[in-house]
Amino acid sequence: MAGGAIKQTDVHAVAGATIFREARLLDSGEWADWVAMYSEDAVYWVPGWLDEYTTTNDPDTQVSLLYHDARRGLEERIARIESRKSITALPLPRTVHQISNLEASETGPDEITCHSVFSVHVYDPRVAKEHLRHGRYAHTLRREGDTWKIARKVITLVNDRVPTVLDFYSI
Amino acid sequence: MNAASQNHAARLREISRLVDDRPSERIFQVDRRIFSDPAVFDAELRHIFEATWNFIGLESQVARPNDFVTTHIGRHPILVMRSADGKVGAFLNTCRHRGTVVCPFKQGRQKFHVCRYHGWAYDSSGRNISVTEEASGQYPPSFSNQNHDLLPVARLGSYRGFLFASLSADVPQLEEFLGDTRAFLDLIIDQSDSGEVEFVPGASTYTFDANWKLQFENGLDYYHFATTHSSYVDILKKRNATAGPDAGFTVEPGGEQEGQGSFSFDYGHAVNWSIKRTQLYGRPLGMDPARLDAVRQRVGSTRAKWMLRQRNLTIFPNLQVIDILSAQVRTWRPLAPDKTEMVSHCLAPVGESAAARTLRIRNYEDFFNASGLASSDDNVMYEFCQTGYDATSAAPTQGYLRGVADIGHGESAHTRELGITPSEWSFGPTSFGGETNFHPGYREWHRLLQHAAGETA
Ligand code: FES
Ligand SMILES: [Fe+2]
Repeated sequence: MAGGAIKQTDVHAVAGATIFREARLLDSGEWADWVAMYSEDAVYWVPGWLDEYTTTNDPDTQVSLLYHDARRGLEERIARIESRKSITALPLPRTVHQISNLEASETGPDEITCHSVFSVHVYDPRVAKEHLRHGRYAHTLRREGDTWKIARKVITLVNDRVPTVLDFYSI
Repeated sequence: MNAASQNHAARLREISRLVDDRPSERIFQVDRRIFSDPAVFDAELRHIFEATWNFIGLESQVARPNDFVTTHIGRHPILVMRSADGKVGAFLNTCRHRGTVVCPFKQGRQKFHVCRYHGWAYDSSGRNISVTEEASGQYPPSFSNQNHDLLPVARLGSYRGFLFASLSADVPQLEEFLGDTRAFLDLIIDQSDSGEVEFVPGASTYTFDANWKLQFENGLDYYHFATTHSSYVDILKKRNATAGPDAGFTVEPGGEQEGQGSFSFDYGHAVNWSIKRTQLYGRPLGMDPARLDAVRQRVGSTRAKWMLRQRNLTIFPNLQVIDILSAQVRTWRPLAPDKTEMVSHCLAPVGESAAARTLRIRNYEDFFNASGLASSDDNVMYEFCQTGYDATSAAPTQGYLRGVADIGHGESAHTRELGITPSEWSFGPTSFGGETNFHPGYREWHRLLQHAAGETA
């Protein structure tokens, strides 16, 4: 019993440390460190909405808001912004990720699944406008050697009428 | 004719003059006010969007009896339904009793739509089948004699599954309205062996804080691509270095002259296109040589060649159909002079292979929408334009003249190939980026406002 409780704490601590660190790196623009948290074959998925209640469930036959089935897709997005050529990054909005309601459980050997909710406050200094993105995260973490990597992240964006731009840093 | 309507007509005429179109003097100017003035915006909704044909969806969105989908024409909420006996109808989505939106859902299947307020019910043909407690209602004969059905749009038509509707009956026949844009719809529809297209599930909706005409222009603006999308072009070039046959790259037949051109049509429509030897992206039709051969057999090598060229089609006032690395159908709904809502669908031929479909979806997500690597740059650009247009006292912009010195009339090698007779055409090198293909939209804009002024007076 006692051992199980300690283990449960560990799982929760690993999940919290990973997810909060990810949020901080996104908000501070430390994207090389952020993307390094993902495994090379990580799936990064923001499903679309089919109707009022249902999100898309098959990225190969339905359109997602964002879908990358390897870290490379995220690296391209970072490179585009860092090239200082993308209009969306001239200037970049400032963001604050707030994450709570974290639940985590061990779902396999060296695998943790966590659920959380997010609010991302986005402020666009270009036009002094702000808006809020909110929704749910489902992370799958996998142990690779000594570190825990994000193997899969599914982002359910609740307010899916998107103002102007949606990118990895604003959800 | 009273003073108020005379005044209104005079105002409309004044607004219509904000587009200064003098072909013989080779002058085309657009006053900055048309992007920000609330009076212009109101006139556009009433006398353009709500007075002509609008694209409202695909028939395949309501494939089965009792299927429905909701949309808008101008400010009007619209309910498109297929009746129990299979007929497609389009209705104002507003209850006859006291105006409630009858169907608040995006899409679905329902035999009946019951109004949430007092329970009046309509069937999928729009017929009122119940006035709640009618017998005890102490209604006067004037009520009982009235029809209580949902109000249908004034005109509804379909071209090969593309549904168009008009709130005004004073419009040309749909075939005439579409004219030779049909040849360009055909180039997409005929990529399907069965001649059917569908939306891939997963539409997206986004907004930008700028006038709808920024989107109208941008969809025909070849000139901006290299600049606005340079960060995306960098990514494509990098990817292409390692692209395999699965990427769907195709080649132009030998002897084709590279270049960029456009066709302008009546009623505001235009298409721009390019012929390029080195392509930046592949496309689903190109990834399976056997299937491409079969399509070529069916449609002929000339039309197959055009199917593999970039084509951005605008059907005025609310539709753009893009066939590039994927196919997109996008519509806009003006919400305010400086706010526009876009709805975007991935368009696909029915019957393509699973691999081609997946490539289509990946390419679509990559390029389009607020989350895509190209369209997101456009959206921000519209907002920069809108901010710049606040300089209302500045001279008119100089953005409508590329190509004006050499406008084509009559036949060209390209019109002959396609069997079309556009009102104007343009062609230049791939660095051309002609702007004359914005003119037909503004001419139709002008015509509709003048028409409304004539009617009101
Ligand atoms: S408003 Fe629809 S039943 Fe009263
Ligand atoms: Fe663009």
